Amino acid sequence: MSDVLEFENVSRTFRGGAGVTDATFVIEPGEIVALIGLNGAGKTTLMRLALGMLRPQAGTVNVLGVPADEASSAQWARVGALIEVPLAYPELTVRKNLHLAALLHGATSERAQNAIGTWQLAPVADRRFRHLSLGNRQRVGLASAMQHDPSLILLDEPSNALDPASVIRLREELIRRARAGASILVSSHHLDEVARIADRVLLMNAGRLIGSLDTSGQDLERAFFDRIREDDERRQGTQATR
Amino acid sequence: MRAAIRAEALKLTHSLVGLIATLAIVAGVIALLGGITAGVAAGNPELVAKVGPAAVPTWGGLLAGAAQITAVAAILGFGIVLAWMFGREFAEGTITGLFALPVSRTRIALAKLIVYLLWAVVVGIALTAGVLVLGVALGYGLPGIDTRAALGRLFALVLLSAGLAVPVAWVATLSRSLLAAVGATVALVVLAQVGALAGAGGWLPLAAPALWAMSNGAGATSMQLALAVLVPGVFTVAVCASWSRLQLDR
Repeated sequence: MSDVLEFENVSRTFRGGAGVTDATFVIEPGEIVALIGLNGAGKTTLMRLALGMLRPQAGTVNVLGVPADEASSAQWARVGALIEVPLAYPELTVRKNLHLAALLHGATSERAQNAIGTWQLAPVADRRFRHLSLGNRQRVGLASAMQHDPSLILLDEPSNALDPASVIRLREELIRRARAGASILVSSHHLDEVARIADRVLLMNAGRLIGSLDTSGQDLERAFFDRIREDDERRQGTQATR
Repeated sequence: MRAAIRAEALKLTHSLVGLIATLAIVAGVIALLGGITAGVAAGNPELVAKVGPAAVPTWGGLLAGAAQITAVAAILGFGIVLAWMFGREFAEGTITGLFALPVSRTRIALAKLIVYLLWAVVVGIALTAGVLVLGVALGYGLPGIDTRAALGRLFALVLLSAGLAVPVAWVATLSRSLLAAVGATVALVVLAQVGALAGAGGWLPLAAPALWAMSNGAGATSMQLALAVLVPGVFTVAVCASWSRLQLDR
């Protein structure tokens, strides 16, 4: 099967040096890949590149087998994402927001009703989005990103503000969708959570992908920080020799 | 395209901004006209001097006043709604959700402008009907041919004013800021007023529709009005192009 998301030597840097440099990776169908790194490592920039919010200065981003800037409506209809802010408007109720998201994703409004059930949003379904707690807003965002059954799912810090029950719901939902063939890229700070669901964990530091993290070890935090420190030292050494 | 239009209509019809702007333009203009008429009837000499032709207690006076007030109130009200429709996506961060969709951003931007135009038509009908009811209530009798033509010009003025506010959508997109777009709205109103005072007259697209509506159609030529129509056309293309090329790089 072809790769659902493919980055090939992708770079996009901003003034001041932040961004993504020379990123190369693929996500295959049915795979959950986690992206971890410290704040400012470039995780959100990488996701923005995957979704066409940024165009690469070098390299290519392929989404569902075609360059992101050439993807058709039918291909984008198979993508679902939650990056930073949910696609939801404060003046609309949860139900109307999900209906709106279904419309824009080319799905029927019945999907919204199913999503309300899946994400246990029935008690707040007729409440305006502006009156929701942060956790409920995040659940609406997750429902909105996945209700149209996308083949490629990108979620930036999806467990932010979620209560433990919702974290379990999210985990089950991602595993279920991956088993059904969806490809999933998730960024997270929660190493334990990531270790439970991800098939692979990509490490990101200072805008570069620096390899994978073995999640079978005992002390994930130590392994993570050791890798980050090694990369920092290597980069500082390289700069010093210039 | 239909999905984008439905989505934008859902947002505007559920927003307080749309409701308040509609009330401000329609009820505000009617209330001001009623106030001016009452002041003139009470013999307030300062007011009579200030409002000029609008001081005459006839259909002609009422419609001259209506055009004068609408010229400012409509650009202001429409500009603020347009600033909100476009600027909010950046201010609230929902712009991230408008990428990677089967509906292109060009179509989303166009859908916003189509919904805006439909709303402007509703506001135009409501305002024209309101002035008609006010005139009848003031005892000016049923409108004759000239009055009906002036009412038609008032409706056209509302739509042309809505068109003249379209640059605000472009400013909101380029600046990614709701406040900058509101600032642009105020700048449009000031430009229209200063341009008219400076004698640019009908050749200033921002002022031409108002001059035309206030002068029984004599204050601006059809060429000058065509320039005013060109403004929304050019800026609709500019807005759609900006949304098409949009990157979230700042």
